[in-house]
Amino acid sequence: MRNIRHHPKPETLAEYAAGRLDEARSVVVSTHLTLCKECSRSVVDFEALGGACLETVEPEAMQAGSLAAFWERAGDQDILVSPSMHGFEAANDFSLSAAQPLGAYLDVDVDRIKWRAVAPGVSQHVLDAEGYRDGVLRLLKIAPGVQLPMHTHKREELTLIIRGAYRDAIGEFRPGDLADLDDDIEHAPTAFGDEDCICLIATSAPLVFKDLIGKIVQPFVGL
Amino acid sequence: MIRGRAVIGAEILIVTSARPNKNVSSGSSEAMSDLLGRVATSGDRAAFGELYDYFAPRVKGYLMRGGSPADLADDLAQETMLKVWRKARLYDPAKAGAATWIFTIARNLRIDAARRAAKPTLDPDDPSLSPEGEQPADERMERADRDKKIKAAFEALPEAQHEVVRLHFIEDAAHSEIAERLGLPLGTVKSRLRLAFTKIRKELGDLDA
Repeated sequence: MRNIRHHPKPETLAEYAAGRLDEARSVVVSTHLTLCKECSRSVVDFEALGGACLETVEPEAMQAGSLAAFWERAGDQDILVSPSMHGFEAANDFSLSAAQPLGAYLDVDVDRIKWRAVAPGVSQHVLDAEGYRDGVLRLLKIAPGVQLPMHTHKREELTLIIRGAYRDAIGEFRPGDLADLDDDIEHAPTAFGDEDCICLIATSAPLVFKDLIGKIVQPFVGL
Repeated sequence: MIRGRAVIGAEILIVTSARPNKNVSSGSSEAMSDLLGRVATSGDRAAFGELYDYFAPRVKGYLMRGGSPADLADDLAQETMLKVWRKARLYDPAKAGAATWIFTIARNLRIDAARRAAKPTLDPDDPSLSPEGEQPADERMERADRDKKIKAAFEALPEAQHEVVRLHFIEDAAHSEIAERLGLPLGTVKSRLRLAFTKIRKELGDLDA
């Protein structure tokens, strides 16, 4: 993958590592992580910090006979003792990123998505990622040359470029880049290049796009 | 070489939410990683029992801070340790501390519990047991070193930052609720977190001091 220029803020990665992000945001972040070694490493750092914090938690006594109950639950199933050839397997195999790549939320290939037009040159596909906490996950497709109306974000928005490219006042965003936008940032991205720009976007509040041409602008406010 | 660690573990148990004594706690962290390493290589049940006594009550505390009722937290803590036992062979003490690994397992179970509560039909076995790709040996060695540095940097944080970092990772409350509880503006909580993260990255040599 080419060099990624735009990354989530450290605070966002820290929220991800702490398990604080809603499902929509964690899908966007974890998809970025599959592409970005640097951020993956930061997340592991934050997980180590989480481990240090876990050790400071006030212990709550387990129920009486807990360990005996544990062995009963574990049954005779001994662990598979590692043969030395497996010694190099990753220890941290419970990462969130393994759990939630975008693929798990797409029932079809990106090229077969049923897009719903929301404005000329703009269409979207809402993904079912409202599993826990608020948050909406959607794919947005913008035709080259099309500019989204200027908008701000009611709360933070995470946008990951999947395909194509767009530019706005912040810079140029290409596949793998993630725009981690505060609520006070105003922008009007314009897709450019030869192909449609497809972005994966997590926002806080459910948002209904309207097909009516006269309401084109409104839906993008708070996108 | 690890015999007698249960005693150290018991000392730790006395330390509650206050900041643990640094020396005891880091010594014990390494001891725990050694124990888990022993479980990984030989399936040592006695070693696992010591790990259980140390971590299960902490994981239960963590889950209760995340809003689980005591019974559920007890059950999920046991489930966390069950995953630790069953997946122990994947653990590599050179790569990560036991606490880090167990934290990620407990965190994922906490998320799954929240998700199940919101979406009862979801497959409870869905989460993420798929291994990550392998890492080169030099990266793994570096990882263990970073874990230690991160823990040391965390323990060296000024109290105010130490506290918000703890709450960030342990409490399942929005930053605004944490701010309210501490009687601080939300901006202060966020800036303390940022400062803490920056300080830790400096300790790691990721940023210029």
